[in-house]
Amino acid sequence: MTSLEEYETIDLFSNWDQKTQSILTLDNLKKWFPVSQQSILFSRVVANIKAVDGVNLFLNKGETLGLVGESGCGKSTTARVAVKLEEPTEGSVYFKGIDIFQPMSREEELAVKRQLQMVFQDPYSSLNPRRMVLDLIKEPFDIHYPDMLYEEKESRVLEILAKVGLEDYHALRYPHEFSGGQRQRLGIARSLAIHPEVILLDEPVSALDVSVQAQILNLLHDLQKDFDLTFMFIAHDLSVIKHVSDRVAVMYLGKIMEMCPTGELFRKTAHPYSVSLLSAIPRPDPRIKMDRIILEGDVPSAINPPTGCPFHPRCYKAQEICSKVTPELEEIEPHHYVSCHFPEI
Amino acid sequence: MAQNKKILDLRNIYTYFYTESGVVEALDGVSFDVNYGEPVGIVGESGCGKTVTAHSTLRILPKNGKTVAGEIIYKGVNLLDLPDLQMRRIRGKEIAMIFQDPMTSLNPIFKVSDQMTEVIALHRRCDKKEALEIAIETLDLVGISEAEKRITDYPHQFSGGMRQRILIARALALQPSLLIADEPTTALDVTIQAQVLEIIKEMQQKLGLAMMLITHNLGVVAETTKRVHIFYGGRVVESGPTDDIFLDPKHPYTYALFESIPSLEKDKTRLETIPGNVPRLINPPKGCRFHPRCKYATEICSRVRPPEFKFGKGRRVACHHFEELDLHIDMESIRESRKAVKEEA
Repeated sequence: MTSLEEYETIDLFSNWDQKTQSILTLDNLKKWFPVSQQSILFSRVVANIKAVDGVNLFLNKGETLGLVGESGCGKSTTARVAVKLEEPTEGSVYFKGIDIFQPMSREEELAVKRQLQMVFQDPYSSLNPRRMVLDLIKEPFDIHYPDMLYEEKESRVLEILAKVGLEDYHALRYPHEFSGGQRQRLGIARSLAIHPEVILLDEPVSALDVSVQAQILNLLHDLQKDFDLTFMFIAHDLSVIKHVSDRVAVMYLGKIMEMCPTGELFRKTAHPYSVSLLSAIPRPDPRIKMDRIILEGDVPSAINPPTGCPFHPRCYKAQEICSKVTPELEEIEPHHYVSCHFPEI
Repeated sequence: MAQNKKILDLRNIYTYFYTESGVVEALDGVSFDVNYGEPVGIVGESGCGKTVTAHSTLRILPKNGKTVAGEIIYKGVNLLDLPDLQMRRIRGKEIAMIFQDPMTSLNPIFKVSDQMTEVIALHRRCDKKEALEIAIETLDLVGISEAEKRITDYPHQFSGGMRQRILIARALALQPSLLIADEPTTALDVTIQAQVLEIIKEMQQKLGLAMMLITHNLGVVAETTKRVHIFYGGRVVESGPTDDIFLDPKHPYTYALFESIPSLEKDKTRLETIPGNVPRLINPPKGCRFHPRCKYATEICSRVRPPEFKFGKGRRVACHHFEELDLHIDMESIRESRKAVKEEA
């Protein structure tokens, strides 16, 4: 079968240098959702939910970046903006050196989306129940390669099904006939069909049982090697994050608290929030006795986040400066970024 | 004397659900016990019968479900023989239950005070004023600040962790002897989970409660319970002291379950997986229910239901081959990787 590259009509990314530039860069990204109050005629914005509030991130070609944080911290919104499902309020996203929110033609936009795909969390609601698997996975080809022959699309669908561990006859079935793990395989197949370079995985295993979760994690590992993929892996489970990622970014209330190679996060934890997050995980080993740091209270509301460092009301190290000055994400050691006035190292 | 130690003793419980597509054998000869003042864990994947066990014990099964055989001995009385009126006195007063989802377990249109005092007044036979005092006292106990003010709030004014605290308080206010907690922290974030687990542990010890903790999170079980029962396909496959089982599992399923979770201690690129899916319990596999997914299965496994073998300090395992298998968790590699971590630090 011919490679998909032969269908490529425009060359958008010729200026990108793989060796020096990261493949995906989020630069001071903000996404605020307005909360409006409706009067009889007019509605006015009374507040903003600051879901993503100045995120700086980058992804290098071929790596897996784990994005971890508690619910409501803005992980999913970050991913949705990064694949252009939402417009950012401020800041920009660069994919291979190109600002994906700059005005561009339909062809250019499709060219970006061909290489930048997303897998969604819930395998039950992200597949249209009325469409056959064949049609579901064929759809990306219909959109991106309308001139491709039907027979070729079909054989490509079967090929991709085999890649994710499903059989040919599954192509003629409907989503409800599959188990949760198989549906997540379908979701992966759908995003993988047009051979993207970067896939953003939004909690791909959190809806699955542990034995099935292991199957999907292994599958993702194999696919990454086969297709030379770059992953951003979003999860709230730190042990999963540790297992899959090369680098980890810890997020809290719309901001990145710490970003470093995975091993460093566990050996040289720098941010007090990461420290408490790590100590909160229950360990399935009776011999490990932990000195647990139990955080008081809940995650504050993103409508009215604390001034200064967003973590300071719950932080065990907080001092006066923390409530006044927002710490910047700084590189305190090579490849180790922390936004804290008093990091642990 | 041995008999008197047990607060709850389930003997050979069979619970079936009668559905349009057939009879679901949800519990198939489940036997285990809980001692006075002892926290016991029930572990398994979804659909293995954990929750059905709890519902059978309290006799709150849906209309199409029925416990067809077995005995549930609570403090020497078989709950299955009790008339409905007496059973109502057991529920809440003797055996309290905390449900998984704190969002749906509280009625959104009533104040927390109403929902708490109603049960307290009914079961402890006191007037509303006294009940309110008890309610405030227990809310205080589970760490809700300004309890007397907040008790008049509605459920939506509390966060998930707070709601779970309210449910724990409501359960404890009746001074039960046995607490059944069904996935009490599954819907919560790790830092909140740590808070709630701490409260459950503290309460359990302070009040000398017997507890049945149902969960799929092996870390939670390892940290909270003394003994554990592993469920698979509506049967108990292995039970014994938590520490022993976690360090030296004897059933192939238990072993596979432990190996399939990503761990913070181990460095592995591939996880051990259990092939296939959790069995459906309409027409379950014959013989041992794990045999289609088991690496070590032989001909006898597909024919004969394995008996429960007793060995060691109160351990039981239902596997034909447990004596021949050598299923040690790879302790050496764990120890080494931990040493390496220490040295680097």
